[in-house]
Amino acid sequence: MQSILRNYIRRHATAATRQNSSVNASEISFFSKLSSQWWDEHGEFAFLHRMNPIRMQLIHEKVREMGWEDGAASEEKLSSRSALDGLKVLDIGCGGGLFSESLARQGARTLGIDASEANITIATLHSQADPNFRVSSASPSPSNLSYRQISAESLLAESGPEQYDVVCSMEVLEHVDNPADFLNSCAQLVKPGGHLFLSTIARTPLAYFLTIFTAETLLRKVTPGTHTYSKFVNPGELVEYFQNYPTSLTSKTTTSQPWISPSSSVCDLRRTEAEVRGMIYDPLRAKWHLASRTASLWGGDLVNGCNYLFWVRKPNASPSQ
Amino acid sequence: MASTRRVPFRSLLKAGRHALRTRQYSSARVSDDCDIVIVGGGPTGLALASALGSSAVSNRLRIVLVEGGDLSKVHGWSMDSDAYSNRVSSLTNASQSFLRDTGAWSHVEESRTCPMEDMEVWDGVSDARISFHASDVPTTGSTESQQMARLTENLNLQRGLLRHLKTHPEIELIDKTKVESIIRDEEEGQWPLVKLANDRILRTRLLIGADGFNSPVRSYARIPSYGWFYNTQAIVATMFHSPPSLYQNSLHTTAYQRFLPSGPIAFLPLSPTASSLVWSINPPELAQALVASASQDPSVLSSMINAAFRLPTISLKYLYDVVMDARTKGVTLDGEVITKEIRWREESHGIDGNSAYASSSTQLSQGMPSLDAASLPPLVTSIQPGTVASFPLKYNHAETYLGEGLGARTVLVGDAAHTVHPLAGQGLNQGLADVECLSKCIAEAVANGGDVGSYTALLPYAQERYTANHTIMSAVDKLHKLYSTEFEPVVWARSVGLEVLNELDIVKSAVMATAGAHSSKTTNSADAAVGINNGWSVVAKGFESYASTVKAARMASQGAVGLIGEGLQGIGRIITNSSK
Repeated sequence: MQSILRNYIRRHATAATRQNSSVNASEISFFSKLSSQWWDEHGEFAFLHRMNPIRMQLIHEKVREMGWEDGAASEEKLSSRSALDGLKVLDIGCGGGLFSESLARQGARTLGIDASEANITIATLHSQADPNFRVSSASPSPSNLSYRQISAESLLAESGPEQYDVVCSMEVLEHVDNPADFLNSCAQLVKPGGHLFLSTIARTPLAYFLTIFTAETLLRKVTPGTHTYSKFVNPGELVEYFQNYPTSLTSKTTTSQPWISPSSSVCDLRRTEAEVRGMIYDPLRAKWHLASRTASLWGGDLVNGCNYLFWVRKPNASPSQ
Repeated sequence: MASTRRVPFRSLLKAGRHALRTRQYSSARVSDDCDIVIVGGGPTGLALASALGSSAVSNRLRIVLVEGGDLSKVHGWSMDSDAYSNRVSSLTNASQSFLRDTGAWSHVEESRTCPMEDMEVWDGVSDARISFHASDVPTTGSTESQQMARLTENLNLQRGLLRHLKTHPEIELIDKTKVESIIRDEEEGQWPLVKLANDRILRTRLLIGADGFNSPVRSYARIPSYGWFYNTQAIVATMFHSPPSLYQNSLHTTAYQRFLPSGPIAFLPLSPTASSLVWSINPPELAQALVASASQDPSVLSSMINAAFRLPTISLKYLYDVVMDARTKGVTLDGEVITKEIRWREESHGIDGNSAYASSSTQLSQGMPSLDAASLPPLVTSIQPGTVASFPLKYNHAETYLGEGLGARTVLVGDAAHTVHPLAGQGLNQGLADVECLSKCIAEAVANGGDVGSYTALLPYAQERYTANHTIMSAVDKLHKLYSTEFEPVVWARSVGLEVLNELDIVKSAVMATAGAHSSKTTNSADAAVGINNGWSVVAKGFESYASTVKAARMASQGAVGLIGEGLQGIGRIITNSSK
């Protein structure tokens, strides 16, 4: 995602000179055009637009399921409109705000953050065209969607840990330079009992073939150079990370209970601890499908061998045992 | 352009932020923010509003329907129980179950509707005939009454939908208000701005064109459409006749359709004593002449209808000439003259006065009906005053159902997307299937937090409906073309075709998708859609093999000529040889 953006900024920024100018209407329209790239549903990001429904499906499923598990949610709450209603949600690496908008429409108090100022401007501009999110002087109630240009690390340093019911970071992990540090920041921002959702790409020959060879080199649906094979992360590596998490280095505030029981593996994760769900693209229907939970039991390598969603839950502050 | 690019990137970012701030101050807009604006209050538009109203999305979306006409007239529509409006549609079981699911059907006056249980279709030139019975259709629900479709006045349906909408006041209906123009919001997001005649401006997330053949929404979305006029006009009317005799089925629930070279004529049951006419006529001048003569003497039209179902095509042609002649000469056609002419023609064709093929009104429903009575519609005795009307027929299909680029956030349903020949009675059913699919698509997008105006959210609708509609439309179009010819080999092939069809139960069930017969009990609409599509694909395939049959027939006839030629040469050779 961020490297897409780098190309992107390069493309537009190199044309600029050092000449200064005052604000005018053509600049605004220039920004609208930038925005239309992220939001161009026929362009590079078409795949991401189409991914939103299944991302939301998993978030709904797990948040609802865990609410029921805790016995905290009443019957009405469970059957009510959205599992995310009123929850505090952080979208790390929000890009143009593709997923943040969906979260906010579900009633989540959403903050989208991105390291890139251009992305944040684009995301904000786009949301301002939508009456769902428009901040107007007429209605004093603030929108439940906001954006900030800040990195996860800086946000953590600024606001402190355990701030969000749900933290998600979609298609970002495969673009960061130090995944362990990044995961640590994400994990710390989650409230005890809260949820962390990640989506990324596995480091397998299949993933190389589909995401780099086919999408970038062969079909040029995605700008070549968007993905780097060595940065892809396998589900097993994520599971292992959270089996050893929190480490002695990171656990200053949290309990020492690991997020995932050390005895489990990718194939037999506890339903209440973590989940790996493959995402399979059907080019004929132009639609992503979320593989079932049990799919990883019998065909894990194939089903989770490319794009997948990962969910993990932070243990509650007071361990039940 | 160059000057805008010569701005440092940093300052552009600042400009963007500034733009955001100023936008916030200037947000006291004159336009009304809506999530969905439906243009058009016809059956499709109203059905969409009612479907959205009954789904949970209506609590979360602001939905407005705009109609130029007066909807209170439709809402207050009423007619005597023995009179019927002239625009009637055959609602398939799939359409009915959709309307039941949304809760709209309970507001439709069911006593004014009529089930269609049987269908008689025959070729006017070869007299090859095929009979459809609802009981032939495999149904999953055993308790359902066997029907292929239900004939319903469009106004009865529209009134029912409006009554249903009254129970959903959250959906705003704006009537007696024309859409003056549709423009793009160039300032923000390029959303559609719908300017109404009363100066209100609706800024909408999604603009739905249910605005018919000349769709302004389609023009705004810059969606090209492809089609042609059939050089045919359809005459509609409400016909009265005597009830079926006691010896026959006590209820009149059979539809009749005869394919004439001038176009198909259909007789659709409404009650034991009333039926609806849909008569497609080529050339259109003939249709106009018939309508004109009907306005002078309605008995001319009833006699012509009776003849059109009974007389051989050669005599019909003669009668057409009489009607056209009177029209060009400006003479008022006397019903008596036509009746006499028909009687004379019947005699010359050797039609027995007691046969069902005789249209002399002396032997009406007294005593035993003749054996062939069931294969023909009852004799028309009169036409309901004020119900004769005609309109041109056309084929039209939009290139896509979703607007893109500058026309984004638009979607087409019903006649705005497709117009089809009425011979299979599919137009409104296609529209209702569009509505069902689109409302599901919208509900799904809302459930996922999606933007209901986005291309991604609407794509499944376009994918599912475009193919389904295209299959139906091309099959119906081919059917029309196939039956409007008198070319011998084609007539021969198609008569064989129909008789063969009659034998093949599988193909027959597929054809019955035409009349809409598939189980009304189907709960899984995806399966239902697949069923319909399969049915129509079978029909389409049937046509393919059919076309090759026609080709074979042509070759055979040429071959026959060849054989005879060779035979003559052979004889010639023999003669010359023997003479030597």
